[in-house]
Order: sequence, then structure tokens, then C-alpha cells
Amino acid sequence: MPGFTHLHAVSGFSLRYGASHPERLAERASERGMDALALTDRDTLAGTVRFAKACAKAGVRPLFGVDLAVEVPGAPRQERRRTPVRGGAFIDESTPRVTFLARDGARGWADLCRLVTAAHTADGTPLLPRSDNHADGLTVLLGPASDVGRALAAGRPDRAAKLLAPWREVYGDALRLEAVWHGREGTGPGSLRLAARTVGFAAEQRIRPVLSNAVRYADPGLGPVADVLDAARRLVPIDGSGELDSGEAWLKDAGAMLGAAERIVEAAGYRREAALRLLEQTRATAAECLVDPEDDLGIGTVHFPEPHLVGAGRRTAQRVLASRAAAGMVRKGYADRRTYWERMHRELDIIAHHGFASYFLTVAHVVDDVRDMGIRVAARGSGAGSLVNHLLGIAHADPVEHGLLMERFLSKERVVLPDIDIDVESARRLEVYRAIIGRFGTERVATVAMPETYRVRHAVRDVGAALSMDPADIDRIAKSFPHIRARDARAALAELPELRQLAGEFQREGKRYGRFWELVESLDALPRGVAMHPCGVLLSDASLLSRTPVMPTSGEGFPMAQFDKDDVEELGLLKLDVLGVRMQSAMAHAVAEVERATGERIDLDALQDGDPATYELIRSTETLGCFQIESPGQRDLVGRLQPATFHDLVVDISLFRPGPVAADMVRPFIEARHGRAPVRYPHRDLERPLRETYGVVVFHEQIIDIVAVMTGCGRGEADRVRRGLSDPESQGRIKVWFAQRAAANGYRAETIQRTWEIVEAFGSYGFCKAHAVAFAVPTYQSAWLKAHHPAAFYAGLLTHDPGMYPKRLLLADARRRGVPILPLDVNESGVAHRIELVSDSAESEGPKEWGLRLALSDVHGISEAEAARIADGQPYASLVDFWERARPSRPLAQRLAQVGALDAFGANRRDLQLHLTELHRGARGAGGGQLPLSGGRRTAPAGLPDLSSAERLSAELGVLSMDASRNLMDDHRAFLDELGVVSARRLREARHGETVLVAGAKAATQTPPIRSGKRVIFTTLDDGTGLVDLAFFDDSHDACAHTVFHSWLLLVRGVVQRRGPRSLSVVGAAAWNLAELVELRVEGGLDEVSARLARPSPEGTGDSTGGRRIQMPTGYELHPWADLRPAGQEPSQVRKLWHQSPGSAG
Amino acid sequence: MTILCVRFQLPPTGETALPGLLGLLGEFTPVVEALPPDGALADLRGAERYFGRDAVELASVIRVRALALYGVDCVIGAGPGTMLARMALRDAAPGATCAVSEEAAGEFLAGKPVAALPGVGAATARTLCEYGLDTLGRVAAAPLSTLQRLVGAKTGREVHEKAAGVDRGRVVPNGVSRSLATERPFTRDELDPARHRRALLSAAEELGARLRALDKVCRTLTLTVRYADLPHSRTGSSGGTPTSTTRTRTLEEPTAHSAALTRVAYGMYEALSLQRARVRSLALRAEGLDPAEHSSHQLTFDPADDKLRRIEEVADRAREKFGPRAVMPGALAA
Repeated sequence: MPGFTHLHAVSGFSLRYGASHPERLAERASERGMDALALTDRDTLAGTVRFAKACAKAGVRPLFGVDLAVEVPGAPRQERRRTPVRGGAFIDESTPRVTFLARDGARGWADLCRLVTAAHTADGTPLLPRSDNHADGLTVLLGPASDVGRALAAGRPDRAAKLLAPWREVYGDALRLEAVWHGREGTGPGSLRLAARTVGFAAEQRIRPVLSNAVRYADPGLGPVADVLDAARRLVPIDGSGELDSGEAWLKDAGAMLGAAERIVEAAGYRREAALRLLEQTRATAAECLVDPEDDLGIGTVHFPEPHLVGAGRRTAQRVLASRAAAGMVRKGYADRRTYWERMHRELDIIAHHGFASYFLTVAHVVDDVRDMGIRVAARGSGAGSLVNHLLGIAHADPVEHGLLMERFLSKERVVLPDIDIDVESARRLEVYRAIIGRFGTERVATVAMPETYRVRHAVRDVGAALSMDPADIDRIAKSFPHIRARDARAALAELPELRQLAGEFQREGKRYGRFWELVESLDALPRGVAMHPCGVLLSDASLLSRTPVMPTSGEGFPMAQFDKDDVEELGLLKLDVLGVRMQSAMAHAVAEVERATGERIDLDALQDGDPATYELIRSTETLGCFQIESPGQRDLVGRLQPATFHDLVVDISLFRPGPVAADMVRPFIEARHGRAPVRYPHRDLERPLRETYGVVVFHEQIIDIVAVMTGCGRGEADRVRRGLSDPESQGRIKVWFAQRAAANGYRAETIQRTWEIVEAFGSYGFCKAHAVAFAVPTYQSAWLKAHHPAAFYAGLLTHDPGMYPKRLLLADARRRGVPILPLDVNESGVAHRIELVSDSAESEGPKEWGLRLALSDVHGISEAEAARIADGQPYASLVDFWERARPSRPLAQRLAQVGALDAFGANRRDLQLHLTELHRGARGAGGGQLPLSGGRRTAPAGLPDLSSAERLSAELGVLSMDASRNLMDDHRAFLDELGVVSARRLREARHGETVLVAGAKAATQTPPIRSGKRVIFTTLDDGTGLVDLAFFDDSHDACAHTVFHSWLLLVRGVVQRRGPRSLSVVGAAAWNLAELVELRVEGGLDEVSARLARPSPEGTGDSTGGRRIQMPTGYELHPWADLRPAGQEPSQVRKLWHQSPGSAG
Repeated sequence: MTILCVRFQLPPTGETALPGLLGLLGEFTPVVEALPPDGALADLRGAERYFGRDAVELASVIRVRALALYGVDCVIGAGPGTMLARMALRDAAPGATCAVSEEAAGEFLAGKPVAALPGVGAATARTLCEYGLDTLGRVAAAPLSTLQRLVGAKTGREVHEKAAGVDRGRVVPNGVSRSLATERPFTRDELDPARHRRALLSAAEELGARLRALDKVCRTLTLTVRYADLPHSRTGSSGGTPTSTTRTRTLEEPTAHSAALTRVAYGMYEALSLQRARVRSLALRAEGLDPAEHSSHQLTFDPADDKLRRIEEVADRAREKFGPRAVMPGALAA
């Protein structure tokens, strides 16, 4: 029997509708003997590329289509129902839906793209307007969900005939009626009677019927998953007594579909043999739909913007590029250097070879535009290795001087699209997008989509809500998980020490939750929404819209292609990555603040390398807030490496990557650098590439050089070889090839052997030097700012929050470095953080001292407009003046009063709150009552008790998320002294191997991948005097993991580890929730605390994974639960003090 | 120190024992006010002289008798007025009666949270706490005018007086409670309006039957819809109280007629026009109970109304004889 072709099948890309991935559908189709399969997702073509690739792999011919909601004439206009007081209105899914299949090659695909784009133009849910509902290259299936199908279900063939007329008029012979039988009762969709009516109606109207199964999932038994998805889409719980999914909508094989066809035709009153005719019609319809993934979708071809748009109207793009590069040579002062000219011409040859000239011109145009707008811009990535990029002004660093290779970026041997990423200020990223769209037009530019997929937390939330679980329970369960894949939920529950409590709960009352975990896991990686990719921008010629479906993004209304970043590369669309880098914004703000306050102009890009103060700061490891070198691991590495030059920074950044760390390149490097180990080279010839890193391979460029030197194959080829190293299979072939070529070049077998060992060990781990150079530039710039303009630097950091640490930690760092913190004040604070002169040298001795004034924008819940209004109206004479002119909302005014921003108006903070409430009432009750004033501008006291010191701190944390007036750990100093806790400052003098107690507020927690394949929890605590870096190894996880992840204030017992003069960490052995201990101390005294400490901790069982490890393609092992965002709340999200007194504000 | 506030430690389903226990208190004084479901206030002014013991000693006697006769333990607070007696009860334990004298009242109250004060509801307490007046000591110290600005003139004065230990509360003898309530929880989040209405119908029927059994009519009806979702501010791991909506309506005329109650309940429910709200339970409360003989009833020319009432009367009698499920509306029978 020939295979059946499903013409109507959806994948998980149909958001919260389809339950299977496109790959799974293709696989199953192949297994069940089908030759072709259509993918007709709802409202989207996003799954197309993945589906086409999977089909090619499975040996199935892909058909492309889409299922769209269509506007139909005479749809009953629904009267607006009253807005519910609670819970929101039902999601309206009443619009008829129709399936469109691309039939005529590229034309069909273009029609499909146009229809999808048209359906997304209007606001609200996607709906195809009638005016756009026409196409020549499409086949249309009218199924049970179409207007015609609904009329038939309602038993109104007359009405169905009337509704059919407009369809027939537009699509004529390309119209099909789709019969679906899901074994349902009655006459609704999926019922036998409706299927039979459809077939009968088709015969009567002389329209060809087809059979489909309206597939939602690949395998039988996934009905409950479809129910969960329905519930998540409609935002209602699963209604046990209502209609559930039939469980029949799976990818049935030919036999089952023949059976269905027989039942349908018999029910329609035909002989059983008519079933074969129905199947034949279906087959013929599928056969007509011929869209070739390569030719028609354009997979594997490249489209650049037309030359005239990039300044090459009359000459060829290559000529324009060459002359611009030559101009750059002169402008940058390289005109008399032959090496530069040679290199430029060589690069231009390579570019001409590929015909990529207009690509370079396009990027150069974008960068020029951005720079003209006064936005900081920098190139990152391997593109920095090209001299042409440097000459065009795309990349800052001079590649010749830094020894960067063009071949790592682009060579004649590489056939993939080159990739230039540019970094811009994050705060102005959208401006950049608008500029790009403005230059090239919406028909050539689109942003890239990024599907948000289900991971464990969202899966738990949606399944829990669908099953009507208690919201508090759902929340607790979701938050106990680290950010892992949903499909690992049960494994994590069994293995992770921090989930042991939860696992016990589920074991005890397993029945209550039924199939909960099974459903959670089945949602794994299904798309649950789509967002704009944070950096990708598509640039193409004017044919973009006929190759890509485009929808507007939700917030800004940018055109967004439905494909994600991998898809667009497959489709040969040129993608430019425009990354918003917060650090660039922070630095721009710092520079602007310095200029505003002092008039001094700083040009960061013109800074000279080698500033001693900057390197001293870096070497002191006080690098919080500096780009790339602020993480605990980096601070440790910087302390050991002691960088003194820009090149050291480049090496430092390259070494701190998972690869080099895993391959243990750090230790030999440090040893050699400090002269504790001799520098060795496998051969004299290799000294040149390896000298700069003391014989240790750090950069990709070095591998390329080594291979090129030893084999004499040229760098382009060498780069190809380097890429092959990460694949174990090709590695074997390369080894033989390498040995042969090197031997032919006259190297001894021993040398070849040693060199190969190095290449093999480090080949796939190294870091692209061009990346590192591009990173090191802002690293140096930020460290320079921190050393020379600390107040402005912190103002920039706090305004744009670039780092991995919560803001309160940056504030603590500022306080430690002696920057005065000035409180929020409505008469002084600006929208953003500012610097303010604290003492002037004109009166007192010493340099000017600058303080940091906190910003209005950090107040919880303030809107941009409100902040701007408050800042514009300054100064305010009195509370009433402030209330009337700044017009803050009442909660905002209360918050401002709580943190002392209104202290200037007299009275205490609670009195101010009372006055504000009355002003609010007065404003509502038309015509003010009494003005609460005494003595003119001062506010009269009302006799309420002022906020206590703890309440003020609590209010600051709640409103600003920062302990602005003092460090919150200061309140516990006495108790910590009682316990004998060592402060971070004193810890620096501690001996190696000493057992100490440390305490502090958690600043960051990570479980990065580690060379040993173990899971190590790294935590940083802040105790007001500095930072303490902690590591918990897996023998302590049973005792500590839960506490570490779920407490904010920690007390830890551990052993001091020293690896260098500036490298210090504490290996944790036991951890307690300090907040709990503090409370016990206050309520029950020290004896209660002792009792708590005496409580035994859970016994360690060691490695609960049973030795399971993830084998990485590069050969090293990874702990299955490493490298995840950990459980619990992010420290930056904490807005509450550990306990709140009943009288606390808010 | 002549007022006792007694809380009997009844098992959760032991409300029926309360009348007997009230009778026990009645042996000491006629001035007893029931605080359903498990408490009572008693004024022992006369009893002290009659029994020759002071209130605290009498409290011990009451406890002994309650244990001996009913096997029920009790906690007792004593004070010069009802407010102080109630406040004293909070500090008492079985066997340790807490007594507060008029002189010691101020000191006793100073450390207590405002929410503990009788007559201070959640809203008032929240307002006061917001302004740092979280203990009664602070409330007493705050200027009266400020308090009145915060919570209104009357409440402000009352709270201020009470916080200062001025207790004007008297025991008012009465029999039964002044409201009746019933709740219909759902086993899972319920969205179906049909099932919501069924729950309301059954609740209104029950209230009507209970009112008629007591010969009472009610003036107002309150509907409380409890939802599954938590308020946004309180979704933290500490959990929170689920949100709810409350609506109150005054009836056209005080009545115990089930059909009238149902109509009002439906009206309140329809006005909410719920669609996707996840309802966990529906509760109805009949308030403003008065004796049925004091109520009036507007007669109409429509015989249907009269017939309904007569049917109800018959149904009530049938239920009395054959149990509460003998007669019920068709919608509930399925």
C-alpha cells in the first residue's frame, strides 16, 4: 500500500497548540512509511527550516504550509461582554481557520510568506484580512474549523454553499475540502458525521475532498499534553468534565488512515471502494505541492543589499571597497608601511573571491551611521582580525600590531558567511535599529526572532495551573528548581541535593499529583512564545519579504522575521549582530557625567595604554564592575596573573574561558610567566607564534600558525584544519595528514609527536585572539574610569547595571572605595545617577571629592514620565509644592517619603506619609481642605513615631533594592563578633588551611562546568568590608546546597585556600541561614543559637548521579547539573529584609 | 475585674456543645453573651458577692465544672470591661487565668499589636501599621487628632480610648448569633458558570431553610467568591492568602424566602461577570437577622409568589420529617 501524506500537521511552533517537534514529526513519518509530509503550523512558518532539514535527514519530502485565522464575510459581530471583575475574559478563538499549502515552487513560498506577513499586520491576534486573501501559488484546505466546515457542522449545507462561493471565486481549482475523523460523537469537528457531510458536500459542489488527521502530535498517547497546551493557551485549567483532546490527532500510518477513509465514505453513503478515491485525491493534492527547500526557499544562497544603497551606484562594490580601504590607510597613517599595503591587498583578494564586497560596505555604512549618532560602537568577534575592517572604521584595534589573522575570519577555503558583530550602547540599541531600518527600508531589514522554549520552571507553572494546583505550591516547586531543561525534571528530583526535600514530598503524596512530572517533561523545549532576538538584524535585498514571513515585534513594532538566528543563516540571509552592551552605556554615562559636572572631556577611545594607576587597580583584584574581569573566577585569575600590559589583559580574558580552564592551560601559563617554570617550545620554528604566551597555546591564531608552519599548508587551510579538531572523527584523519606533511617538511618524528600533542590538547579549546582583543579594549577603558573617575564610573554602572552582581553590591564597593553616597532627594536627584561635588579644593586642602547622588529611576515602580517630571520641576519649596507640580502617584510619593527623599520638607517620614495621604484625599475630594503647613514651608509634625533604623534600611531595600545609607551587615556586627566570624578584610591575613567562619549577604551563585567533571557551587558573600569567595564541593552539597541556594544571608564554616598573594577562597563545609540565626539570637539568646547549630546536618551520600557524566564533543566530561542558573531567587531580585517587623513601612 | 471572657476548647465540630456550656455560665450570672462558635462573655458583678469569691477564683470554679460536666477545658481572661477581658484572654492558658486590672491596663496593653484590639479590623490595623502605630502603646502615645486623621473621627477616638485602657464595653445578654453563613468549596478550580450557579442555589436554599428553622429573617446578603490565584505582591515563597471578591446587597424586604435569597445571590454573581476566574469557593452570608414576626411582606396580586411560599412551607415540613434531602430544587437533585 502506498504511504499516506498528511496535509495538515502542526509542530510545537504552533504556540501552545502543537505537542511535537518538527524533527519528531519527520522521523515518525519516515518510520511509518510516508514519502511526504506537510508542516502547517498555526500563524507561523518558523518551523520551516528545522522541518526541511529534518525531512532531508529522514528521507521524506517536505510540504510547506500554514494554518491561518481568516476574516470571512458576515461573521457574527460579538457584543462586548462586561469586563470581569477578576480573572480576565476568555481568549477568543472563534475565528475560522483555514490551511494554506504552498504549491508552485518559489511563487507558492512567496505567497505563503505574504499571507503570513499580512495576517500579522493588524493589532491583536493574527488574522488574515479579506483583501489579502488571494494567491496563485497556494492550495487551500477548508477543514472543520473553516467557515464552511462550521456551517456543515451546524447542519446548514445551504449556508455552507453560500460561504463556499467567495472561496471558489478566488482559489478556483486549488480549493479542497478537508475531512477529519477523530472518533468524536455528535456533529462537531472530529466527528464522523461532519466528516461524512464534508465528503458528501464536496461531491455535491464538485470540489475535491481530501482526508487529513489534523495532526497535533507525532505519537499516540499525547492527548493529555495537548490538553495542557490548550489550557495554557486559553489560560484556563483543564476542565475534567468538558471536552478533552480526543487523543486521535497523531501522525497515523497509511493503514489507519485507510480505515478512517472507509468509515467516512460509508457514513457518507458511498461504497467502501470510494475510500481509495478519497485517498487518491489526497495523494494527488500532495503531489501538486512542489516546493524545493534549496531552490525555492533559497537555502544556501546569499542576498546582500543592492550596491547602490551602500554607495556603489556607478562603480562595482569591490572597487568602492578598495578605494575606501586605501583612504583608510592614509587616514590612519599606515600609508608608508609596506606590510599593511600587502595585507590589505591580500584581504581584498579574498573578499573579491567570495564577492562579499557589498557586505563589508553595508557593515561600514551601519557603523558610520551609528557613530554619527554619537553612540559608542565597537566591533567584536573574529571580524576584528581583518585589516580591511579596521581601515573601514569597523574595528578599533590594529590587527597587524596585535598579530590577528584574517584567516580566522575569512579565507578562500571557508565557504560560510563571515560574521561581523558590533557592540553598541545597550540603552540606545533600538535607536540603532531604527537607523538601520531607516537607511535600508523595511522591505530589506528585519530583526530576528527568538523562540522562548519551555524549561522546567515554566513547564511546572503551566502544568500546575492546568491541573488546578495551589498557586503557592506551584510557585514554590518552580522556584526550587535550577534553570534546567524540562525533560530532566525527574532526574534532577532524584539526584540534586537541594531538591531532596521536594522529592520527599512528592514521594509521600505522589498520587495527588498524578501525571504531573510526566506532563512537565513532555513540554520540554516546545516554543511557548516568541521574542525579538536581542541582537540579530537581517539585511537583504528587496526580495526579503518574498522569502521571509515578517511580523511586528510586540513592544516597538519592528519588523521581525519569524525565523531564528540559525534558520536565517541556513536561508542565506545576511545577519548583522548588533549587540547592546550595557558596559558601553555605563561608560558613556560616566563620561557624560564627568563632562556635565567638570567640563572635562574624556575620549575613551584615545586612551594611551600603560596607565600605572589602572593596572594597579586591576592587580589589586578590586575589579568589581570592570568589563569581563569582575567575576569571582576572573578576580582570582587576575590576582595570580598580575597583568601589566594590554597584552596581558588579552591573555587573561582568553584564559578565562571554559575551554582553557578545563584544559588546565592556566597553571602552566602562570608558572612560566612568573619564571617558576622554564619556557619550552617544541621546535625553534614555533618560537615566533608561541613566544607571547610563554610557550602555552592560548589563541586559535597560534594553532593556525603552528599548523601552517609545520605543514606549510597556508593559513586558510590551517584554519579549516583547526575547525576539524573538535570533531573526534576528523581528528584522526588530521593527525595522519599532519604527521605526513610535517615529516615532508623535514621535522623529526619526536618534534611532530610533541607538537601534535599540543595541537590535540588545546586545539579546540583556545580562544580567538581577535575576540579577546575586542573585549580587552572596554576592559581597559572601564578599569581606567574606575581608577580615575570612581564616582562617575559608579554612576554609570548603577544607571545601566551591566554586571553580574546586584546593584547593592556595587554600592557597597563604592562605599568601600571611599566614594560618598548621597541619599535620594527630590530636590537634588536626577533621573539617572549623577555625581556631585562634596568638597571643593578652593576652600579645603586636597583634591576635589566627588560623591554619587542616587537616582530617581531606581525607585521601585517609578515611570519614566514621573521621574522626568520630578527632575524637571526642581527645586521644590515645600511638600505641597512638590505634590502639585511633580504630581507623583500616591504610592510613589509614599515610597519617596520612606527612603527620605522628602526629608528636606521637614517633619519625620511617617508624618510626611500622612500628609501625602491627605493631599491625595484632598485632590480627590475636589477642593483642598486645610493645608498641613506650619511656619510656611516646613511641614507640621503630626506626632507619629519616625521610622526606626531597621525600618529605614528595610524601606531602602524595598524601594531602591539597595541598602543606601549603610551596609545591611553592619546591624549584625555584634552578633557576628560573638560567633567569632572573620570579616572579609581580616580574611586576607588568614593562613592557608585555617578553618574560619565567614558571613555575609549572597551576591552571586554559580555552578560552572569544571575540569574534574564535578559540580561545584561557587558563591560570593558581601559582608561590608569586602567580598568572600566560597566554593562548595560535592561532599558538602547534601549539607549545604539547599541552604546556599535558598538563603540570602549566610553563615559558612570553611577552610581557607590560598593560591597566590592575591588569590584566596574559602572551601565551605557547613552553611546556615544567618537570618534565621539572627532571629533566634534576638528571641532566644545565644542558647537558642547553640541549639540550632547543634542540630545535625543531613548525611552526605556523595555523588548521587551514580557517576553519570555528559561527554562533551571536545572530549572532557561535564557534571550533568553543572553550568546552570541555580535554584532559588537571584540575589538581585531580593527586595526584602530577612524579617519585617509588623510595623515596617509598606 | 468582674467580666470574664471564656473560650472553651471545643473540637472543631463541637459547636453543639456551646448552649450547654452557656447554661453552665448561667448558673453563676444571668448576664452572659455568647461569642460563637466557642466563647462567651460573662458579667460576674453580682456573683462575686453571692459566692463570696472574686472573679479569678470563680474562673477556676467554672473551669472545674466545665471539665467535670462536659469534659471541655477552657481558657479564661478577666478584666473590668469586655475589651480588657478579651485582651486578657489572649495571654491566658488553660489553668492560668489572666486578669487585668483597670490600673494595670495601660501597661498591659502597651506591647500588644493593634490588630489584637477588639473592634479593630484588618483595614484599620493595616492603616495604623503603615504609619508605624503597630503597638497599642504607640497608638496611645499618638495625638488623638492624628489618629482621627488616619482612621476617621469615630474610629480614631474609640481606638485611642481603648489603647489607653479606657474600657466602656458591657456584656449584652443575647441568644444566637446575628448572622448565618455557608460556603460551597469546589474540589478544583471551577470556571463553569452553571456549576457556580448550582452552588449558589444550594447555598441560598440552605440559608433559607436555616433562617426559617430559627424563625428569623435577614436584611442583607453577602457573597464572597474566593479565587485560586494569589495577589501579585504576595506570590513569594511564603505564600499568601488567595484573593477574593465580596459583594453585599440589602434585600428589598427582610425575608427568609429561599427563592428571594437565590435571586439576590444570582444578581450579585452576574454583576461580577466572571469568565476566566479560577473560583475555589463561593460563600453566602445572611446578615441583619431579625425575628420573623417583626418582618413585613409586600403582598402582590400575582398568585405565583404566594404559591411558591406555600410550597416552601410544605417542603420545609417534608424535610423536617424525612431529612434535609427529601425535597430540593431540580437543579440540585442531579
